[in-house]
Amino acid sequence: MKHLLLKLEPLIWFLFGQGIMIGTMLLTAWVAVVGVGIPLGIVSADALSFERAFSLGSHPIGRLVLLGVVALPLWKGAHHVRHLLLDMGGHDRDALVAPLLYGAATVGSLLAIAAVVRL
Amino acid sequence: MARAAHPGSMSPSKPGRTRTAPPSMPPQFPTSGRYLSYTLFGMTGILYLLAGFVALRVVWALGDGPAAWQGIQQQLANPLYVLFHLLSLVAVVFVGVRFFSLFPKAQPAKIGPAKPPPAPVLTAMLYGAWIGVAGGLALVLAGGIF
Repeated sequence: MKHLLLKLEPLIWFLFGQGIMIGTMLLTAWVAVVGVGIPLGIVSADALSFERAFSLGSHPIGRLVLLGVVALPLWKGAHHVRHLLLDMGGHDRDALVAPLLYGAATVGSLLAIAAVVRL
Repeated sequence: MARAAHPGSMSPSKPGRTRTAPPSMPPQFPTSGRYLSYTLFGMTGILYLLAGFVALRVVWALGDGPAAWQGIQQQLANPLYVLFHLLSLVAVVFVGVRFFSLFPKAQPAKIGPAKPPPAPVLTAMLYGAWIGVAGGLALVLAGGIF
């Protein structure tokens, strides 16, 4: 497993890098509007009525943005949490923790692809 | 063409008689001095991971139709979800400010013949991209444009 993770390190780092840069840019707007603005009434709920949200989300650019909003933060999160646990002395558990975290990010990313394809 | 080196190729075949001391964290780790922001930076990963899965639920509900969409909107109005998203917003801004400040310092002096732009220019470009992408997407989501 350690050798596999080392071989996958460039791919994992690429996804982590995109997650921390592009994921942060996208997540800022997503969390501000969908997670905070609309629930608190700062933004009108009509802005994301089903018809409008579906129209935006089913556009090819919309699908790509939604895929980025979901998948990229997962990779940033998985990699950062793994290294935080390593720093906290979790080297012995890394053989279990790393596959779990990257597995969760992989499954989440595949589900994200499915979610945007079915729009 | 040489084949790729095995990741463990530099390890000695047998452990030597003289062992190096095991690595240990400095006493300031994890919450004192500069380690506090380092640790907080790592902990934002938890919020990113959770925010990604919440966003997945939202997108999935959109594909399930109007009733599911209405349901997820009601769930997002739950105070716990709002609190989580407020924390996530703080984390996302913290990550952006920290990462976009570190990024110019981490650039190589040269890549082939190309040199990276001066650090202030790179920082301005990153903040410009952040404001442009986040602001543009927020405007679209909030119904300001399109």
